[in-house]
Amino acid sequence: MSMVNNIPVGPFHPLLEEAEYFNIVVDGETVVDIDMDIGWMHRGHEFISEQKSFTQSIYLVERICGICSTSHPIACVHAFEDVDNIEIPERAAYIRSLVGELERIHSHLLWFGLAGHFIGYDTVWMWAWKYREPILQMFEIISGNRNHYGMMRIGGVAKDVDPARIPEMMKILDMVDDKMNMIIKVAKDDPVLRSRLKGVGVLTHKDAVELCAVGPTARASGVNTDVRQDEPNDAYGWVKFDVPVLPNGDVYDKFVVRALEIIESTKICRQCLEKLATVKGPILNNVKHISAGEGLGRYEAPRGEVFHFIKTDGTNRPIRHKVRAPSFNNIPTYVASCKGIPLADALITLASVDPCYCCTERSLKVVDINRDPFQIDLLKLSREKTQQIRSKIHE
Amino acid sequence: MPENEFFAAMGDKIGKTIEKKLRYYFEVKNEDLHDVVNYIFNTMGCRLSTATATELYGGIEVLYHFSHDATGTYYCPRIIMKDKKKPQMKSITPIVRGAEWIEREMAEMFGIDFDGHPRKEPLLTRNNPTVEKLPLRLRRIS
Repeated sequence: MSMVNNIPVGPFHPLLEEAEYFNIVVDGETVVDIDMDIGWMHRGHEFISEQKSFTQSIYLVERICGICSTSHPIACVHAFEDVDNIEIPERAAYIRSLVGELERIHSHLLWFGLAGHFIGYDTVWMWAWKYREPILQMFEIISGNRNHYGMMRIGGVAKDVDPARIPEMMKILDMVDDKMNMIIKVAKDDPVLRSRLKGVGVLTHKDAVELCAVGPTARASGVNTDVRQDEPNDAYGWVKFDVPVLPNGDVYDKFVVRALEIIESTKICRQCLEKLATVKGPILNNVKHISAGEGLGRYEAPRGEVFHFIKTDGTNRPIRHKVRAPSFNNIPTYVASCKGIPLADALITLASVDPCYCCTERSLKVVDINRDPFQIDLLKLSREKTQQIRSKIHE
Repeated sequence: MPENEFFAAMGDKIGKTIEKKLRYYFEVKNEDLHDVVNYIFNTMGCRLSTATATELYGGIEVLYHFSHDATGTYYCPRIIMKDKKKPQMKSITPIVRGAEWIEREMAEMFGIDFDGHPRKEPLLTRNNPTVEKLPLRLRRIS
């Protein structure tokens, strides 16, 4: 006998680090449908950015996400530079790519930890986060900060890399390489990981293309898309690296794609550091003015393509600043990947795209045109929304 | 060159065009939107990055951003709606499933009616009963 039930996950749930609501419809143990409800985080970054100068906007977008806190600024400065085709110095290009790749390493290690935790394998969690720590120390060596590095500027970067610290950073990269090879070996050999991840939550190639998925989510489904190879900005045209693409689309392939990407990132970091030891010159071109026009910037963040669009009118602030984080494209793939799987596998499938809800909801600005926009009681709205969902479930 | 083939195939369906390095921004009439998007997405194999709605003095514009990953080129069809009180245009979601969320968001933020969208409900304030059904960030309506 069929017994269909709704299982609410969220908006505040131990699985989710951020507020998000999923209505999982199950027939017995099998997921038959899933519906997502976003809009729990009222941020308004786009609107705020349109009130700020170009330089201030870069600091603002850095705070969209705490994990990819340099991907948004890189995409943002690419968009500003795209308006006037601004070039950046060679040394700045290597520093940008170095910081971007280090961020990919620490973000993927963070995801490994969370993925291990979600399937009840806390050893993976402790390992991954232990090896993430030296990467954060590298950020501190480069920028002085472990997070929110403040490195990006239109026309270059803000801080130079001290050549005397390069050998120290090379040693850290060697350690990360060793440990990643170990983690890949564990993923291949460990029966627990294989049984929990292999064949689970499959996103087919067709669905990934139709839903416009990006990043490791798409690459694990056989879609060869990576901004670093498609439009090689900064130093990506000068360094050698591979883009891992796997065919199966399950959580296991997403796990392995990320592990392989870490190894490729350490290769890129090494090449950048070798160049930074020899390439001299400025790190910032002096950009005084952005002309009227449109600019489009993107960067391959750890979760996929981050997209920024700028429309300017010749003043010192944008008249439109569009931000699209990768999770905005990847979260809708749940509809394809969760249907037909057991409920116990649904949670790791939800986590497998490495969703960042903060990024996704960057655009919401609640404006009641009849009132002062800043006087709306967001807490009240949030409570009403929860009550509404609760009553729907009990109907 | 895919861009030459594209502009040749579309002919006069493409209006005013701004060409930059790896970027093509071009105006398209609402009635031609499906033909253009169908060619870009299904024939050329482009991926929809996202879409941007902007409130202008003369109306509301929607700019779709399609990435041709093989060449790193962006094709951006632009639709301009002059009626700011009732902006209406065709939805591309029946062709590009990945456009569902961004069109719902634009509808909610700018009050655009996407004709033919399979799921016409707010993306962000679906369960907010007390939020008035007005565009969330349109500022210059009377």
